[in-house]
Amino acid sequence: MGTVKKKSFASYLSHQVILVIALIVVVVTFGIIEPVFFKPRVFFDVFAIVGEIGLMALGLTFVITTGGIDLGVGYNLQMSGIVFGLTWATTQNLALAIAFALVTGTLGGFFNGLIVSRTRIPSLVTTLATMYLYRGISMIIAGSNNYAGFPDVLQKISTTRLFGFLPVQFIYLMVLFFILDFIYERGVLGRNLKGMGFNENAVIYSGVNTKKILLGIYTFLGLLCGMAAIVYLGRFSAAKTSMGDNMNFEVITAVLLGGTSTMGGIGSMRGTLIGIIIIGVLKKGFSLLNFSGNIYNFTLGLILILSLLLFSVMEEHKRVSSRKS
Amino acid sequence: MSLIKKPKLTREGLLAIIVAAFILFLSLSTNFSSKSGIYSFMLDVSPTMVAAIGLSMIIFTGNIDISAGTISGFVAYTAGALVKAGAPMIIFVPAAILVGTLLAGLNGYLTVKFKVPSIVVTLAMNMVHVGFYATFLPQSGWIENLGPRFTWFGRARMFGIIPYTFLVAVVVAAIFIFIMAYSKFGKKLYAVGGNAQSAVYSGINPDRIVIKVFFIEGFLIGISALLRALTRNEVMPSMFIGRELFFISAALVGGVSIFGGSGKIIGAVLGAMFVYLISIAMIYLGFQDYYQFALQGIIILIAVFITVADFSKWKKKRPEAPEGAV
Repeated sequence: MGTVKKKSFASYLSHQVILVIALIVVVVTFGIIEPVFFKPRVFFDVFAIVGEIGLMALGLTFVITTGGIDLGVGYNLQMSGIVFGLTWATTQNLALAIAFALVTGTLGGFFNGLIVSRTRIPSLVTTLATMYLYRGISMIIAGSNNYAGFPDVLQKISTTRLFGFLPVQFIYLMVLFFILDFIYERGVLGRNLKGMGFNENAVIYSGVNTKKILLGIYTFLGLLCGMAAIVYLGRFSAAKTSMGDNMNFEVITAVLLGGTSTMGGIGSMRGTLIGIIIIGVLKKGFSLLNFSGNIYNFTLGLILILSLLLFSVMEEHKRVSSRKS
Repeated sequence: MSLIKKPKLTREGLLAIIVAAFILFLSLSTNFSSKSGIYSFMLDVSPTMVAAIGLSMIIFTGNIDISAGTISGFVAYTAGALVKAGAPMIIFVPAAILVGTLLAGLNGYLTVKFKVPSIVVTLAMNMVHVGFYATFLPQSGWIENLGPRFTWFGRARMFGIIPYTFLVAVVVAAIFIFIMAYSKFGKKLYAVGGNAQSAVYSGINPDRIVIKVFFIEGFLIGISALLRALTRNEVMPSMFIGRELFFISAALVGGVSIFGGSGKIIGAVLGAMFVYLISIAMIYLGFQDYYQFALQGIIILIAVFITVADFSKWKKKRPEAPEGAV
């Protein structure tokens, strides 16, 4: 008694500290192997690459915090992108195409939200089913067509560089991040979301309409998928039925890497942002080293599993040491 | 008051009637009833039947396996590579099934030991597997010209119409229906899925049950992958990517509750048949292949909705007899 308890080294390590260390290690490694990586124009490419993934991952953090999940954000993006392509091909009206893409994405999210909030079907199954539904819809619309030949104005949305090096996606991500982080950490909504993750009934009994919140966050995620589709098309200027194939997993990985728990109740926007940047650095680094997309997927899968194991061991350690004291 | 109990129509019974009706309609309007139509239906449905049993058992315990499709790819590759190396059937079949068992067991181990939800583990594993095929296997695992030593079993038929693979599937289904209905293990499985905490209080170790179930599922995935691979002269692991959708929707259509703790193996078997009959019907109706994705999604949603919808609430709306009227 009275002595200052000595903290173990491990207790200083939070998820985010480990993530930042990991990020620095990865960046330095790529920089040593391929020094061109440190050129500002090349390095900030990272944000251009993760623009669309990042938008969706920040929205998905809300959903996962409530203990839910959305497995199919990539195919919602694909559906929105295909609708964009179809609208542009038939009307040649950019504003209309953008509007339709946003509406499609929002409806996709709304449909998920409706099922999750009004029925007892878990989000896992709901989004597994709608993932294939949206993929199927985009394939039915497009058939074997690719939509291309979009106007140059669209490319400005994604390929503009501020000061000659900073991609405009950096601005999109930061603006969204600051708004969502404020809501998440300070807002009533953020508190309710975390509460729902721990114990939804407790939140319901404190007079909160959780159905409305659920419907709202899934719909918002859908809107972000629509936006991400436009950002994506600005970068690649072709809408294909394979554009969403890999994204579901990348988006979920970004959120989980950031320390948001699939059990619900625990998470952070900052963690997700770091997760997004790590994915961008890996993607950029692997493409500089001419590695194939498959090696990237393999690595990403391994990283996700290892990070989950690490976090799980850390939690266990914390629980044990708190029991001892 | 009659002493005869009214026969109650269970969900599985209803599904059996639907499947039977479907087969009847298909055979009336198309050449489905021809010898080759029935043969190819039985050939196609048997791998999904076996895998759906495995997935059902996983879902009984409240878990899920998204990597079932990609594990199948490894199983098929192992069998193909061993045949190319000259191994006889008595070696390559157990070895391939062992690969499936171990990979699924790894999923189970990570899920239980590190308390990471199985959905996340298996989703990440799915990615690792797919990346592994393309990166580390020679020619992305593509093996061709396997010859009759590989395919004789898959192409063999009884009485010229029943494929051996279907017989295997039926035997497996019978064994697991029996295990789940009568063994202690089956009871424990439902107990863990229903309420893990009360299972603990009744002396069951849920962790051990869940790991065991993952191993059993891997065993079944192994059989299922072989039933599909052995019918072909070549093996390509990526052929199996996305198959888990069929397995999961078969289980869910069969009335296996996604919340765990309830459902029947026979339901999953009938569910597998239903899923295939729908896709055969769509082919006969002239729909393109990619309509399948949208349709499978809708089938899953409807099936789960029927399972979770609280129909007892609807019944209450009927006017009740005033008190004392009886």
